Amino acid sequence: MTDNSSNAKLPVNSLEPILAIALNTFRETVRDRIVYALILFAAIVTVLGIILGSLSVGQDIRILKDIGLAAISLIGGIIAVFAGTNLVYKELERRTIYIIFTKPVSGWQFVLGKYIGLCLCVLVMVAAMGAFLTIIVAAVGGGLAGANFLDQLKEISQELSLIYLELLFVTALATFFSTFSTPVMSVLFTLSIWLAGHLGESLLELGKLSQNPFLAQCLSVIFYCLPDFAGLTRIRGHLLYGTVPGMEVLTYLITYVLAYVLMLLVLAAIVTERKEFT
Amino acid sequence: MADVVIQTTNLSKELTSSLLRRKVRILSGLDLSVTKGETFGLIGPNGAGKTTSIKLMLGLMRPTEGQAEILGLPAGDKRALARLGYLPENPYFYSHLTGREFLDFAGQLFGIEKKLRRERAGELIKTVGLSQAADMQMRKYSKGMLQRLGIAQSLINEPELIFWDEPMSGLDPIGRRDVRQILLSLKEKGTTIFFNSHLLPDVNEVCDRVGVMCKGRMVVQEKVKNISGGGDYKDLEDFFLSVIAHAEDGSADKNDKASAKTGEEAVS
Repeated sequence: MTDNSSNAKLPVNSLEPILAIALNTFRETVRDRIVYALILFAAIVTVLGIILGSLSVGQDIRILKDIGLAAISLIGGIIAVFAGTNLVYKELERRTIYIIFTKPVSGWQFVLGKYIGLCLCVLVMVAAMGAFLTIIVAAVGGGLAGANFLDQLKEISQELSLIYLELLFVTALATFFSTFSTPVMSVLFTLSIWLAGHLGESLLELGKLSQNPFLAQCLSVIFYCLPDFAGLTRIRGHLLYGTVPGMEVLTYLITYVLAYVLMLLVLAAIVTERKEFT
Repeated sequence: MADVVIQTTNLSKELTSSLLRRKVRILSGLDLSVTKGETFGLIGPNGAGKTTSIKLMLGLMRPTEGQAEILGLPAGDKRALARLGYLPENPYFYSHLTGREFLDFAGQLFGIEKKLRRERAGELIKTVGLSQAADMQMRKYSKGMLQRLGIAQSLINEPELIFWDEPMSGLDPIGRRDVRQILLSLKEKGTTIFFNSHLLPDVNEVCDRVGVMCKGRMVVQEKVKNISGGGDYKDLEDFFLSVIAHAEDGSADKNDKASAKTGEEAVS
């Protein structure tokens, strides 16, 4: 062995540990057979969309796309929630966390690496399911060759970008809860917030309906704290009908999601940093 | 005076039991000093506080009282962690990775550049005798193979200090011999070694000094040559059993046969 001091490079501020953890998380998730079973399920649902579409009058492509995108959103969400909520727990249970935190790795590097790895995995899965949907839609709607395929690809890519943006959010929620809670509780917390985020506007409606100003105020505070998934769904609805949102809306959306994700990851890093590994 | 690599002062740890919320003291007033190049063996019955001591020294747990300094830095400092290697007790790694991928992962956590960490991974795979299984997923590894891989990952950064928690656990006699040889070769190179073990013949062969822990306390520290070089004890096992018997009687401090020495006294 050579001179020890030359090897004592301190990667505290480098990207290496983050990349290592991200790659490991990515490998772990893509090598899990359950993920492939879920993707197969999404493919089957998409193919069933052809049958349902054929029952409609001139709306077969629209129905096929709706069903396919809903399946991608659901399966992507299941992968994000179930893999995300196990992220830290599995490391604790298998005691692999000892291997990581006895090396020069900080809590934030661990959390960020885990998050990036899972997001990368979700991206690959969403892209694969999206490619399958595009092929099916193009085949049903006028052939795989030429402009038709590219048009479908463009439309579906735009939709998928918004779905992925929402999944980034869900993954961050799952990652945050996984740092201090058991997988079952983390799944419940994440799913609750995901659902509540879709129904956020109902809280405002409820506040208006109640005659109590205090209750209305409380519901309004809860509405502003919850992530606004309904906004993302609304824009996806516009996209389905061919209305592309303006640059301002897109910038706002991306900034909103990134700010929320950053906040959740910072909180997750603080929790991890303060953790003791008994 | 020799360089002190591990220094703990009144290191203590209390945990709160989950059921009755009672505080349980699992380590009390550990004063320990290990010098550069020394091989220190920590022995004691199950639940004596050996693993807790290592976790506190590595910063995996925070002390309730006292402090630990490793390589002149506070326990858990990233600069110290970059220069040490650790093997946990009963290691279980990522079953989806191959042995080689896992060593690459460990090297990357240290920030070692790709070419160098691949070279080292290859060397270490040979050293620990895993050449045939290096590209096999770890889910197919036996306990002994995981132990060997754990040893390899703890050496990927060519550490100047290693902490090994039960390195011989799960190994067959050939594996134990191989690990002893690795320890002796590290010792020759001047690596400071701190390890826990229940296997007293191995401790006797490798260590310069031993510490005996019982019920969360360091009962005695002694040089191995003073134990096995004749005198009051037949061998390390005789010494260990005698010390534990006195400690469990609560008379360890007064016993004249195994007079408790502090780390500094034993080193000097």
